[in-house]
Amino acid sequence: MSSIPDILRPAQQHQADAEIAIRADGLTKHFGDIHAVNGIDLRVRQGQIFGFLGQNGSGKTTTVRMLTTLLRPTDGEAWVGGLDVRHDAQRVRQSIGVALQEAGLDLLQTGRELLRLSARLYNVPRADIEARISYLLEVVDLAGDANRRIREYSGGMQRRLDLASALVHSPAIIFLDEPTTGLDPVSRQYLWEYIERLNKDDGVTFFLTTQYLEEADMLCDEIAILDAGRIVVQGSPRALKATVSDDVISFELGDGARQRGRAIAAVSGLPLVDSARDDGADGVAIYTKSGTTVFPTVVRALDDAGLPFNNLRLANATLDDVFLQATGSRMEPPSAAEGGGEGGGA
Amino acid sequence: MAAAPPAGAATGAARSGRLHVLSHARYLAGRTLREARRQPGVEITNIFIPLFFLAVSTAAIGNIAENAFGVENYLGFQLPVAVLQAVAGSSSASGIAIVTDMERGYFDKLLLTPASRWSLIIGRVAADAVRAMFFSLIMLAAALIFGSGMVAGVGGFVVILAMAGVFGAAYSGIGIFVAMRTGNAQAAQASFLLFFPLLFMAPAFAPKEVFVDWLQWVATINPVTYMMEGIRELTLGDFAAAAEVKRAALAAGVEADPAAVAAALGNGWDAERMLWAFVSLLGFGAVTLTMAVVALRRRAATG
Repeated sequence: MSSIPDILRPAQQHQADAEIAIRADGLTKHFGDIHAVNGIDLRVRQGQIFGFLGQNGSGKTTTVRMLTTLLRPTDGEAWVGGLDVRHDAQRVRQSIGVALQEAGLDLLQTGRELLRLSARLYNVPRADIEARISYLLEVVDLAGDANRRIREYSGGMQRRLDLASALVHSPAIIFLDEPTTGLDPVSRQYLWEYIERLNKDDGVTFFLTTQYLEEADMLCDEIAILDAGRIVVQGSPRALKATVSDDVISFELGDGARQRGRAIAAVSGLPLVDSARDDGADGVAIYTKSGTTVFPTVVRALDDAGLPFNNLRLANATLDDVFLQATGSRMEPPSAAEGGGEGGGA
Repeated sequence: MAAAPPAGAATGAARSGRLHVLSHARYLAGRTLREARRQPGVEITNIFIPLFFLAVSTAAIGNIAENAFGVENYLGFQLPVAVLQAVAGSSSASGIAIVTDMERGYFDKLLLTPASRWSLIIGRVAADAVRAMFFSLIMLAAALIFGSGMVAGVGGFVVILAMAGVFGAAYSGIGIFVAMRTGNAQAAQASFLLFFPLLFMAPAFAPKEVFVDWLQWVATINPVTYMMEGIRELTLGDFAAAAEVKRAALAAGVEADPAAVAAALGNGWDAERMLWAFVSLLGFGAVTLTMAVVALRRRAATG
C-alpha cells in the first residue's frame, strides 16, 4: 500500500496525448433547458496560444469554467495537463493559472497580501514567495502600489493584479477569460507582450477567450470560433483567413435587406468573385482572390443595378470575415461597461 | 522593467501540491482576522448591542429576580446571554463576507486554488472562533467590572472563552450554509435571526424550571440551554441549591447559615454540567459545519 499522497502521484497521462496540454471530448454543459455548451472537441498542444472566440453567450466562459474545474460538465470528458478535470480536479488546479472575466479580488487586502495568500494556497515554497511576488509586481507595474489596499486601485490596476495572482505559482497552462476587455490600449499592448514572452521564453500554454479579433489574430497559434455552444471552425488564423479569400470588398447600403439581396445578386456572378454575403449589419462583403481586379467591376455592377452604396473598401481578409462566414454575423466588440474600469499605465 | 524570474520559481512546471489543509486554513483564517481588524465599525455593533441589553435587562429584572426565581446576582445570570449574543452577531457575519467574496469573484479565485474545500471552511470557522473569544472577553470583562463575579475563578473564565469559541465556530456554519445555498447577502444577514428562537427558547431570562411544560421541553433539546447553564454554573455556582437553602431557613424562621449557603453554591465546577455544555455545543457544531461543507461541495460542483 502506497503512503504517497494522491496529489504527488505522477499524472496518468495517455501516451498519445503527451504533447496535448488541453483536451476535450464531447464536452457539454446544460443549465436546465439552456444548452450552453454542446459537445465540444478540443486539442490544444503544449506551448500553443489558443484563442477561443465567440459572441457573448456563445459558451466561452462556460467552457473555461469546466476546463478549470469550477463547473462540472453535464457530459463529455476533459483533461488539462493530462489530468482529468472531473477526477483529478485538485491537481488540475495546482497546474493551471486562471484569470477570469471579472478580476476576482479581495478589496480589503493590499496587493502584496493578496499575492502572498495566493502563493501560499498554491504551495509555492516559502523561501521563494517574497522574491516571486516582487518579480510579479514589477512585471505588472504595481511595485509602487503593492502596499495599498486593492479598493484604492483603478480597474486596470485590479486586472493586472488579478493576472499576477494567476501567475504566482508559475503554472504551465494559463487560462485567460477576456483578459484585455476594459483595458486601455497601452495596458492591452503590454499584456500581449507579456503573454508572448511567457509563451516563447517559458513554453507556457495559453487558452485565451476574447472578443477582440485583432488580439486573436496577432497572438494566437490556433483559434476556434464558438457559436451557440458549438465550435464552428478551428485552425490557425492564417489558414482560416485563406479559407475565406485573399481580399474582401465591402460596402454599405442604406436601405434594408432587400437592397442587400439585390446587391449580392448583382455581384455574385462577376468573374473572380468567390462569394458575396450580407454582413449582418448594413453592408455586403465580397470575397475574391484578386481585389484590385474585381474592384472596378463591382462598382460598375452596382451602378448598373441602380444601387447607391457608400463606404466602399478593399482590404485583406480578416478574422472578422472568417467570423462572419462561420457564424453569419459580425463579432460585436465588447461594450465599455463590460470591461470593469479604466486602465492604468502598465 | 522586471528582472528575470527569481530562481526557484521557474515557469513551465507545475509544482506538485500537497494537502496542507491546516496550513491553508491558517492562512485563510489570518486573512479573515486581518479584514476584521480593518473594519472596526462593523465589529463595534457586536460589542455595543449585547452590552446594552445586558445593562437594560439587569436594570429591569434584577431587583425582582431573587424573589421571582431565586437569582440574587442577575448580572451574572445574564452574562451568558450577552456572550451568546456577541458571538452569534460576530459569527453570522461570515455568511455576508462569503457572499461579498462571491459577488467580487474572489470566491471563485479561492476555489481555483488547490486548497482543499475543507480548508476554506476550517479557515473561516477558526477565525470566527477567535473573534468569538475576543468578543466574549469583552463581555466577561464588562460583567466582572460591574460585579458579576466568577465563582470558578480564572479557570472558569478560560472555560467560558473556550465555550464561546466552539459556539462561534458552530454558529459560523449556519451563515456559511446560507451563503453557499443562496449566494444572497440579505439571506446571509438573516441567518442571525435564527439566534432569537435559540435564545428565547432557552433559559435566557429565567431558569427553565419556571417555564411551562412545553417550553421547558423545547429548552431541554435546545443546545444553547446547556451552554447558558454551563456559563452560569461557572459564574454563579449552583444558585438554585443556594436559594433552596435560603428558602428552607426562611420557612423555619431562622437566618440561613452562610456556610450552608456557600456549600450549596459550590465552586462552579460541576463536571456533568460542563460535559453537557461541551457535548451539546460540539453536536450543534457537527450539524452546522456538516451542512456548510455539503453546501460548499455542492456549490463547487455546480458552479
